[in-house]
Order: sequence, then structure tokens, then C-alpha cells
Amino acid sequence: MAKVTTRIASLEVVFVLAVLAVLGRAAQLQIVQRSKWESEAEEQRKLRVVLPARRGGIYDRGGVALAITQEYFHVGIAPNEVEGRAATITAIARSLELPASRVRRDFAKNPKWIYYHGPFTGAQVQALRKMPGIHLTPEFARHYPAGSLARSVIGGLNSDSGNGASGIELALDSILTGVPGEEVVLRDRAGRSYESPSRLVSDPVPGEDVYLTLDAELQEIAEHGLDDAIERLKAAGGDVVFMDPSTGELLAIASSHRVDHDLIGNRPSFFTDPFEPGSTAKLFTAAALLSLHRVDSTDEVYGEEGTWSMPGRTKPITDAHTTHGNLTLAKAIEVSSNIAMAKFSQRLSATEQYDALRDFGFGSPTGVEFPSEARGRLPTPDQWKPGFNGPSVAMGYSFGVTPVQLAAAYGALANDGVLLTPTLIREVRSPEGEVRYRHKPEPVRRAVRRDVVQTLREYLAGAVGEGGTGERAQLVNYTLMGKTGTAQRFEGGHYVHGSYTASFAALFPADDPQLVVIVKIDDPKGDYYGGATAAPVTRSMLQEALATRRSAIDRRRLATSEAPATSDTASRVEPEAATSVVLPWPLSGDSTKARDRLPVPNVLGANLRKAAVALHRRGFQMALRGSGQVVRTSPAAGDSLTAGGTVTVWAQ
Amino acid sequence: MLWLLLFLGVAAIVLARRTAALETARRLNVLREERTGLEAERAALQRDLRLTLGRQELGRKAENRLGLHQPADSEFTVFRLPAPDHR
Repeated sequence: MAKVTTRIASLEVVFVLAVLAVLGRAAQLQIVQRSKWESEAEEQRKLRVVLPARRGGIYDRGGVALAITQEYFHVGIAPNEVEGRAATITAIARSLELPASRVRRDFAKNPKWIYYHGPFTGAQVQALRKMPGIHLTPEFARHYPAGSLARSVIGGLNSDSGNGASGIELALDSILTGVPGEEVVLRDRAGRSYESPSRLVSDPVPGEDVYLTLDAELQEIAEHGLDDAIERLKAAGGDVVFMDPSTGELLAIASSHRVDHDLIGNRPSFFTDPFEPGSTAKLFTAAALLSLHRVDSTDEVYGEEGTWSMPGRTKPITDAHTTHGNLTLAKAIEVSSNIAMAKFSQRLSATEQYDALRDFGFGSPTGVEFPSEARGRLPTPDQWKPGFNGPSVAMGYSFGVTPVQLAAAYGALANDGVLLTPTLIREVRSPEGEVRYRHKPEPVRRAVRRDVVQTLREYLAGAVGEGGTGERAQLVNYTLMGKTGTAQRFEGGHYVHGSYTASFAALFPADDPQLVVIVKIDDPKGDYYGGATAAPVTRSMLQEALATRRSAIDRRRLATSEAPATSDTASRVEPEAATSVVLPWPLSGDSTKARDRLPVPNVLGANLRKAAVALHRRGFQMALRGSGQVVRTSPAAGDSLTAGGTVTVWAQ
Repeated sequence: MLWLLLFLGVAAIVLARRTAALETARRLNVLREERTGLEAERAALQRDLRLTLGRQELGRKAENRLGLHQPADSEFTVFRLPAPDHR
């Protein structure tokens, strides 16, 4: 009996121990290891999904989309889930713009899965969304609606990470990139996912939109104008910069380079490639001479009849446009005399010349929002060879500038001597359209005194005036001022014989500059001078810009800055009232016959430019005899002539 | 019994809310898909407009079909605004 009792007691103990073990294990799982098992269960039941954020768009100053992010789709098909195979094949072929025969062939292979990578737009896949067996995989991708327009500025994305790889995409990556969201998707035992609206952890926040300072229409003019010029001049490449001097906003920047006979515009050389500016830089030495009172308006140097063997230089300095006798500083700029500038530069120390160039921003990056901007090349005075670098710098050699640096420096001349930081960013807006940043002009320093600027602008006006090297840039109804440049190209450690960089720097219009224009042509063939190549290109681009419907040029300001007549002739050459000219439509080749006869304006005593402006404004052509002031016209002032007819002008 | 009815009532409300939320989510998805499609269509149309109205294309057509040409600056006039005291 005792044995039985013992056995029962033992069983009870075992049973109690077993129950305790179960309870202990339960306590271990549910109390001690609770969080561990809880999270493991969550892991099995839920899936955390990252919701990608849409990247911000890049637009021009008027809102033209240059880079936007769109949702694209890859299409997967499970043939065994498809209902109505023939209809599905037709719908797929039509929507994805694939040959029906190809889709049919893909289905005929009886695969478990058919995949079309695409990527296809939302509009393309819209009709396929509801069809059974068709599975869409969304993906954000960058789209450039304006094609190649300004692509070297906009840059691109890294194909792996989707982050900015170059240009504005890289420079403003942190602004353009949004914050990804997160949601939790429920999963069943079979691994199928179920979306649940209550499981959204955080919404994705789209990136901010960037509005550039570029004007799409002006950009198009610059790009096509440059390409046409490169083709016509059989050049190796070139750059164009349009800048608003009052704000530093870059309105258009184009570069194009010949690679294996094709013109490629993907290298932003306007920011990255320094070049020796040649005569366009003579003005900066002139600024130093005037600021330091080393030259006055009557000082002259001898022009050496176009060739001068300067002591200390192995090669003689030559002038392309030979002038006889002495030259003032103004005349030296007007005819672009290397000899006169070299002689004048001897009145400056190396440090003074260097400081003047530094004041205009050369030798340091401008600070424009571009990731790979070059600083240019400006040796410090201790590296200058006495008697060599000074004259070279005065002629625009021995230092290198980028086209944008040159634009900023000329901008200072238009801006009463204050150098501004050029910019590409006009505004940054939130996805809701709220303005987060708006550009304000950023003065760097006063590069030159106001009174000196006035004199320099007179020099610039002379350089595009009658007999000036930039005469071919001049428009008929509006005046501009500017300076040509032609510099031998320095490649591979030496100057290349017969290879030049032609350039032209202009302020338009002359009396109230709204635009700084830099045109640079690399290695043009034939007549390679800046006045014959870059200057006419500037003129045609400005004409196109003036004729655009929505131009970056302020026409209200322009209306008050048309080329004015001289004060003594103004009353005579200005028409009293507007003259209506009615032309038949459609226009025919000889439609001028139907035009009214108009009185010839009185231009006696006016200089040739003013006379040309007055005659062209009335619609007449001008034939010129002599130079100087107008002494006679035929027909005479007051006589009538058919609009479009030619007035012969004698001047002396 | 009362507790059971209360439980069933609460369960029915939860179920109805869940059903409504899922239906709203489904409708939201459909609208999101439609928006994606429309955005893609808009981008395609903008690109076409840009190409069609671009200076290259429009200029070429204006020259070839209408016999027009790019005006020189002497061929257009910017009207002067009257001085403020004459307005």
C-alpha cells in the first residue's frame, strides 16, 4: 500500500513539475522574451515598404519645364492568370506600342512570366491596369521635356543611386531630393501583400522645385546661334553667355564643341574652360591706368606703324589694324592696339595690374552655383617675368578667364563698377508653390570707381563705333558697346600657329545696359578676327532676342534707349509724328512699289552713325561717300523718296 | 445576452469602418493611377508643344510656308510709353 502511495506521490510530483515546466516556459516566452517574439511575429506578418519621394523639378525663369520626375512602369504578365488571351495580346501591343506579332510570339512560348521593361508612361499603361494577369511595377524616372536645351547646365542623375551626378542636379541635389515615406503592408501566410490605409507610417515629401535664371527662348537663340556660327566658320567650338548685369542672373549659357565632325553641347565650358581673352581684356588694364591716374585723356604713345620690337621680348608685338602716328588710351582701345597697350602698361607695376584683374574677379571662382567651376588662371605678381607678363596681360595674354568670369567683369562696367556674383538660381519653391528662396543681387566688391566706369564705357562705345574693331556688331535702331578679342590659342604648352580664339564682349543697349553678351569662337577658319566672327554673331543673336514675343529684354526700358540723335540734329532727324505704311498682303517681291513716298530727313552735320539711324528709322537704305560729318545728301532733305529707297550721303 | 449584443454591435461598427476605409483606399489608388496617367500625358503634350513651338521648327515653317523672315532690328518698333504727366 505504501508502495502505491509512493508511486502516486511520485506521479503527482512529476505532473506538478511538468505543469511548472510548461508554465515556466510560457512565462519565459510571454514575459521574459516577450518583445523578441513579438517583433518576430510582426516581421512575419508585416512588411515595411519605403515610398520613394518625387524629385523636385527644374524650370526656366518663365516656368518652362526643363527636368521633371515622372512615374514610369515596367510591365510583367502572368499568362496563366490572363483571361481572353487574344484580346489581352491586342491591348498590350496597342498600349505599349509593340508589334502584335512579337507579343503573340512571347505568349506562344508558354512561359510562366513575360516581362516588358519599358519603361512605359502612366498614359501608356492606363488601359492595362484593370486587366487580370498584368502586373505593373512603378518607378520614378527623370524626364527632360525640353530635350537637349541647357542640358550641360542642368546635368544628369547617377543611374544607380538616382542622385545628382552633374550640373544643377548635383549642385542642388539636397534641395531637389525629397524625403522618402514609409508604409506597412500586411502579409498572409502565402506571402501575399494587403495594403491597409491605417498602416501608413509617413508620407513621402517631394523635393523642392528650382526655377533657374535661364530664359528658355533666349537659351534656344544662344544655342542655335552658336551652332550656326561654328558650322559657318568651320570652328572647333565656342561659348555664349547672356547675363543681366543688374542682378547677375545668367539668362542663357551655351557651349558647343566639335567632336568627330559632330557638334556636342554637353561640356559646360563656359564655367570650366579658361581661355586667354585677348583684346577683350584690354579694358581692365585701362581701368587700372585710369584709377591710378597714370594716364589722362591727352596722353599718347607712338603706334610704331604696327610692329614693335619691345626690349626684353623675343617676338615683336604687332597690331592687326595698323594706325599711323600716336594713340591715346581711348584710341588704343578703339583700334585694339597691342603696341599702345603694352606701352601704357609699363606705367603700372605688376602688383597694380594684378590687383586690377583680381578686383574684376579674375583668378577666383565667381561663386555661381555650379559644381565644377574653374577659377581661371592668373599668376601672382611674384611669378611675373619683369617686362614680359605686364605687357602680355595688357594685351589679354598670360592669364586665363572663363566666359562667365568675363561676363561678370563686363557686368561690373554696366553696373557702375560693382561686381556681382553671377547666379543660375532665381527661385526655390516648395511642392505647394511657396517661395522658399528668391535670388537677390550679391555684390562682391566695387571693382572700379564710378567716374572711371564712365570713361571705360566711352571707350567701349568707340570700339564699336565707326572705324572700331567691333563695328559689325552694331544694330541699326539700338546702340551697343563692346570690345572684340582675337588671341592665339595656347595648347599643349605652346601657341599654335594659325589658330585663334575670337571673342566679343558687349553691353546692350549702350545707355542703359540690360544684357552682357559674351561670344567666343574657338579656332574659326578664314577671317578669324573677333570683329569679323564673334561680333556679327552677337548682332544676329540680339536681333533675334529683340524679335521674340517673350524676351528677357525689358521693352519698356528699351523704348527709352533707342539710338538717339545728337542734340543739335535731334529736332531735325526725329519725325514729327509716326508715319503709317500700308503694305499689300500677301507680301510680294516688289511690294515696295506700293509703298508711300516719304520725306528724306535732314541729317546735315550729324555723324554717320546718327545719320544712318535716322535714315534707317524712316525705312531708307544709305549709300556712303567719305567719312566724318554729313555735308550733303541725295535726294536732299525734305525731298520725297519711296520707302526702302537709297539715300546717298556725302561726309567729310 | 446584453454583453453579446454590445460585442456584436461594436464588431459590426469596426467592420463597417474597415470596409469603408478599404473602399476609400481603393478609390484613392484608382485616382492616383489616373493622376499618374494624366501627368504623363501632360508631360508628353508639353514636350510636343515645346518641339512644335520651338524657334527651329516654327521659324522654318514660317519661312517655308509663309515666306516670312526673322526681322532685323530696323524692321520693328518698340512703342514709347507716354510720359507720366501726359497720361
